[in-house]
Amino acid sequence: MKRRDFMALALGAMPTLALGAMPTLARAGMARQEEPRRPRRPQRIVTLFQGATDTAVALGVVPVGVVLSWQDPPIYPYLRSALAQASLLGLETQPNLERIALLEPDLIVASRFRHQRIAPLLSALAPLTLLEDIYHYRYTLETMAQTLDRQARAESLQRVLASRMATLRARLQQRFGARWPLTVALLDIRAGEIRSYLAPSFGGSVLTQLGFRWPRQVEGHAGVLLRLGGVESLPAIDADVFFLLQPRDRPAREHYRRLRGHPLWQRLAAVRQGRVWQVDPVAWSLSGGILGVFGMLDDLDAWLDTTEASA
Amino acid sequence: MGEARVLRLGRFSRVVAWRAWCRVVAALLVVLLILLASLALGEAALSAPQWLAALRSPDSGAGLILWQLRLPRTLLGALVGAALALSGWLLQQVMRNPLASPDTLGVTAGAATLAVGYLAFLAADVGTAWMPLAAALGALLAVLLVMLAAWRGGTTPLRLVLMGIGLSTLLSAVTTFVLVSSPLTTTLSAYVWLTGSVYGGNWSDVGWLAACFGVALVVLMPWVRLALLAPLDDGLAVGIGVRVQWTRTLLILLAAGLAGIAVAWGGAMAFVGLVAPHVARRLLRQPGAAQIAMAVVVGAGMTMAADLAGRLLFPPLDLPAGLFVAAIGTPFFLGLMMKQAR
Repeated sequence: MKRRDFMALALGAMPTLALGAMPTLARAGMARQEEPRRPRRPQRIVTLFQGATDTAVALGVVPVGVVLSWQDPPIYPYLRSALAQASLLGLETQPNLERIALLEPDLIVASRFRHQRIAPLLSALAPLTLLEDIYHYRYTLETMAQTLDRQARAESLQRVLASRMATLRARLQQRFGARWPLTVALLDIRAGEIRSYLAPSFGGSVLTQLGFRWPRQVEGHAGVLLRLGGVESLPAIDADVFFLLQPRDRPAREHYRRLRGHPLWQRLAAVRQGRVWQVDPVAWSLSGGILGVFGMLDDLDAWLDTTEASA
Repeated sequence: MGEARVLRLGRFSRVVAWRAWCRVVAALLVVLLILLASLALGEAALSAPQWLAALRSPDSGAGLILWQLRLPRTLLGALVGAALALSGWLLQQVMRNPLASPDTLGVTAGAATLAVGYLAFLAADVGTAWMPLAAALGALLAVLLVMLAAWRGGTTPLRLVLMGIGLSTLLSAVTTFVLVSSPLTTTLSAYVWLTGSVYGGNWSDVGWLAACFGVALVVLMPWVRLALLAPLDDGLAVGIGVRVQWTRTLLILLAAGLAGIAVAWGGAMAFVGLVAPHVARRLLRQPGAAQIAMAVVVGAGMTMAADLAGRLLFPPLDLPAGLFVAAIGTPFFLGLMMKQAR
């Protein structure tokens, strides 16, 4: 190597050394943080996804900070009175970390699914419980009951839920007799597409527990939802009952209006038998927690009341 | 060149444009001010004494905000901007085209395709930790593909640009397809990535990006002279003894690597790579080491300012810096161009 090249290299090394110092600084910065102490019964908790917020309220631990809701922001109407004092922490996908730090929580509940990237920062701020996913309400309930030390409360909630479900199952059986179990589809009609939530989804899992069956086309489908591009794929969602999330905006309502006029839609079993029931999207899809499940059961009771009255 | 002086160290000598470097230092001071502002401002309002105390005690609550939240993310923004600006400067030299940027060669599109694909198909099982690798890989693959397609016993800038734009368009289509067909939940994080954001940057991100940037700089250093000659006509360059094809390939790969690592951690905010070199050129006419340094400083300053704006302007929302790179960068850029036109 020529000497000139060597000198150039040496000059080049200087800024590089400065940059090289950054990883060292980084390591020092990381070494300094120690695991914050985890209290046995956390009081000031922060919940970073909707299902955790719902579940915390159900367990009687009102969060001091929550993320914005997906619909009717800032907070779903059914949680508004409980969360009147809670701070808003921005979007579920990108919560405001400084606000979380300022709240000095003694527990943060987040999900690996959404917050894996910021998990190291979160756990530097407060003890962190990272749930694997966000839509298994029972798993959320059990995990949170354990970290919050509210197992008794969780068990009584599960008991109430089980007995309500048993009542509803019996009622469904009685109402539909030999035709029971009915096949079901949980639909979300949006401006540009139709979504069909399947058995593994939040709403779908509750319907399965109630004894509803899924059409053969989607039975055993691993995904949470099916997206239909156009009317031609409508037969793929054919079922005895449609629970339809209330279209949330004008384009979606317009889409639904057009769909109802379409012959392929009119040939679907649920439509022919007049069993399309609009339900609250917050309870049926967005809440992700056990309070949302109770909301679903209320809706189903109301639906049965109506069908029985008309029968 | 009355403002240039010669620096001699034994047999090593360099022409140093002192005036130009003074301007670079001035720009650096502005960037340091932005850094200070990024550290001082935020959701948690700290008084000056509180702030100083927090600076000294990284373990306190306020110290945590400074040392774990504000500083790493600001540095990450600075590094992303610096790498993109350097990449853009190199490409504009090599392509002899003021509109060249990491976008033009398909770097961003390649990174985006693989990053979004990773989010859609792998993130659920593997976690998001390897996403930077996917993005960097995508960037490099895209550039290699462009070079391969444009190679006909050598490349010309025009062929490269055309191939790059073509491949970018193709890859954008693939990205859109993946976005449309992937579950709704990944779509959200993908959009944030596509806008470009240093949200949630931590020290390990900073360390990795700094190390990669450092390696790229070391590799680049001996070849900067050739980058300065790149705008010359091929025949002329050959005449003064430049290995044109070899140099071009090397510099393009370096630029792609720089943009790739920047995009890997900062998301697709390649606009910095287009604008920062122009701003640097307006501030410093003479191409040279000082102009490169200026581009790097401007790029770092732009992303830092954009991230600060994203953090402060719409609380409690923490918006992606990429939004504000465009929102702040474009008027500044247009202003400079108009001033020059007059």
